[in-house]
Amino acid sequence: MDVADFWTKSWTSDDRVAVRQMLAPDAEIEWNLDAPVDDEELVQVLHRIAVFADTVTVVGQSRADDGAALVYDLEAPFGTARMVEFLTIADGRITEVRQVYDVTATDQFFPGLYAN
Amino acid sequence: MSLPEVHLVAGTVGEALRLAPVALAMREQGRLAAVPVATGADPDAVGQVLTAFGITPRITLPSGDGHTETMRRFDDLWAVRTPAAVIVRDGLAPALAAFWRRVPLLTVDAGRRSGDFGSASVLESQRRLLAQVTTVHLAATPLAAMNLLDERVIAGDTLLTGGTAQDAAQLFATRTLAAPSRGRRTIVLGMPAERADAIGPALRYLGGHYPDLEVVRAADFAPGLELATLLAQAYLVVTDDEDLVEEALAACCPVLMIGFAARHAEALHAGSARLVEPDPAAISSEAADLLEHRVRRDAMALGGNPYGDGLAAYRVAQATAALLGHGQFPDPMPAQPTAGVAR
Repeated sequence: MDVADFWTKSWTSDDRVAVRQMLAPDAEIEWNLDAPVDDEELVQVLHRIAVFADTVTVVGQSRADDGAALVYDLEAPFGTARMVEFLTIADGRITEVRQVYDVTATDQFFPGLYAN
Repeated sequence: MSLPEVHLVAGTVGEALRLAPVALAMREQGRLAAVPVATGADPDAVGQVLTAFGITPRITLPSGDGHTETMRRFDDLWAVRTPAAVIVRDGLAPALAAFWRRVPLLTVDAGRRSGDFGSASVLESQRRLLAQVTTVHLAATPLAAMNLLDERVIAGDTLLTGGTAQDAAQLFATRTLAAPSRGRRTIVLGMPAERADAIGPALRYLGGHYPDLEVVRAADFAPGLELATLLAQAYLVVTDDEDLVEEALAACCPVLMIGFAARHAEALHAGSARLVEPDPAAISSEAADLLEHRVRRDAMALGGNPYGDGLAAYRVAQATAALLGHGQFPDPMPAQPTAGVAR
């Protein structure tokens, strides 16, 4: 199992310890949610998704030499929001996470997901 | 010194029709090197439309199975040939690949939505995601720009340029006007075959009253110049295809739209399109009314095209250049006068 697969498995199964361990200490985090982000805020949001979503499915993934792009369907009780995640990987750790949420669907189906 | 390269990614014939005028405008302005990229399931058809404008696709990249495979192909392309900017219309996969490589992305016809806020439909979801990775949103109408603001897009990142379908129609105009007349009143059906099979006979039945009537399917005409000529000569278009609505209005042909009021509220407001039920009897009744009273049909045509003023491609080209540090952003498309209202 490569780093990207292990990352996905860790956060979707709400293994916050593994998620923290996989993030490099100076990892750059970026997202389009209306809230500031750092590695701890990222871990918290992924935890809330893992807990609240009925299922999280990887509907597509694309690999590059130094990273991966993953497309998730986050299925909540009242609907599904899509999220795309771009990972940069170096020395077995994740050095950059860029997440793009369908903010309209996320706000609608995952209320209170992040503090804004 | 070589000009900054901008990749214009067209994945369908509709996208090619709308991006070709932008490529020509960039060529004319001389500040950017436009590189048309033909992709999608049928890049040859895309290339055919580009060729009708005298443009040869510089890169042909067939899409893969699903977004992620297509994204990987674009990533591979841009790893070795990184553009200064990318322009798309609805292409989510190339948009994500550009975002991944931090290449600035511009979206034409941005902000088109079904009006069902928060809809989870595949196309709506794709368009919302596309808006989230776009650097500059080039909207065709004020309503489209408002849709983007509803999705928390920053107002300063949005520019009202108009749609480039009007520009495409004007570029074709010299050839469509010179084409031999069909000699009949033509109703064009722009819809899937099964729906056309249901509606076509009802309209052809009107031929008993109007011997000069012919009913044809848009799909039977080659995209590009041939379809543009048909639309320029058509009496009426009946369609459920949102792209064809804009193309028909750009050719000054009135439209009976089946279904989607929210997607073309501007055309309904302008009067150049009418909404009809997807019922053969209702459609043939509306068509008969317009066949019987030419003045009503012409009044609809005079409602004009609210989706562009024929200068959108220049604005898109100028906005792209401005984003890359060449000149200033253009003024937005001026508001169009409303028929019958003194200004």
